[in-house]
Amino acid sequence: MERNPTLQALSDWLESTWLGNAFIDQGYWSWPMAESLHFMGLCLLVGSVGLVDLRMLGMARGIPLSAIHRLIPFGVAGFLLNIMTGSLFVLGDADQYIFNDAFRFKLLFLAIAGINMLFFYSTAFRDAKMLGPEAHMPLKVKLMAGISLACWIGVITAGRLITFYRP
Amino acid sequence: MLGTGICALPEARQYGEMMEAFFIWLESGSLSTWVRGETGWHMAFPVIIVFHALGMGFLVGVALAINARVLGIAQGIPVTIMRRFLPVALLALVVNAVSGVLLLIGYPTKALTNPVFYIKLGCIGLALWNLKWFDTHILANTVYDTGAIPKQAKKLAIASTALWGAAIIAGRLLAYTYVKLMSI
Repeated sequence: MERNPTLQALSDWLESTWLGNAFIDQGYWSWPMAESLHFMGLCLLVGSVGLVDLRMLGMARGIPLSAIHRLIPFGVAGFLLNIMTGSLFVLGDADQYIFNDAFRFKLLFLAIAGINMLFFYSTAFRDAKMLGPEAHMPLKVKLMAGISLACWIGVITAGRLITFYRP
Repeated sequence: MLGTGICALPEARQYGEMMEAFFIWLESGSLSTWVRGETGWHMAFPVIIVFHALGMGFLVGVALAINARVLGIAQGIPVTIMRRFLPVALLALVVNAVSGVLLLIGYPTKALTNPVFYIKLGCIGLALWNLKWFDTHILANTVYDTGAIPKQAKKLAIASTALWGAAIIAGRLLAYTYVKLMSI
């Protein structure tokens, strides 16, 4: 298939950046080590955002939402770690990502998760965290928790498939 | 160097030949070729890998959340109720045991001839033993719902976090450190 020239230019530019080259120049182990950190970030995300989603969906009622939400900073840390390591992968070998359908799906799921999160924190979180420990969440909150969980599962699935969809 | 030294012993050489015969037999089998995507469904291997990654996320995720709680983070979570997340971890463990065995059947030589694979299994074994210990000694005890958790358990939580990290690194390195991919 013919490549979009704009995307090709973007890909070439990304690969020419200092950081991408510096990452590759670190040698054979830089890539697997960054991948390991990327997997750890994934676990932090699932262990915080994923568990908060499950609580909102009705699992482990008895835990106040405000209490389990204290785990979220770990998810934010994991997310930042993965943005950093993920950027290294894209800069280091842009061609493998820019023209990769699995990577595009990963970005799509990330975008939906992000919009959903903004929606949740701007419209529902304030009320939801005031609810008692045994509270069932309103349908709207459950819906957003379900979308979040599904999106992160989608991010992991598409992410792990990237290597099988190299251009 | 070590390998050739050991193989110089007749018994060890015999053992090596026996293992290789076993790998050849396994890799020629229909389940192994199916896992590698050579027969039947070409997406078998990627899909198994995806399940293995998802299982990792939920198993390690729940374990790390429990470790955080033991270390005194999010103390508003009653431990006996946090225990209700354990079935998620157990399901993830089953998913990863099944997907892991399938991957092993697909590439037995690759994994079993690599010392890193045994390090990974050792780390997971110890971390799971620790999770079980937390379940019976900490999470099942209503005293710790609000009460202070013993220092000994906090040390275990740090050790467990390190073990999961080591297991992840070892697991990822399996793709980069294998000495032999296949015997056939």
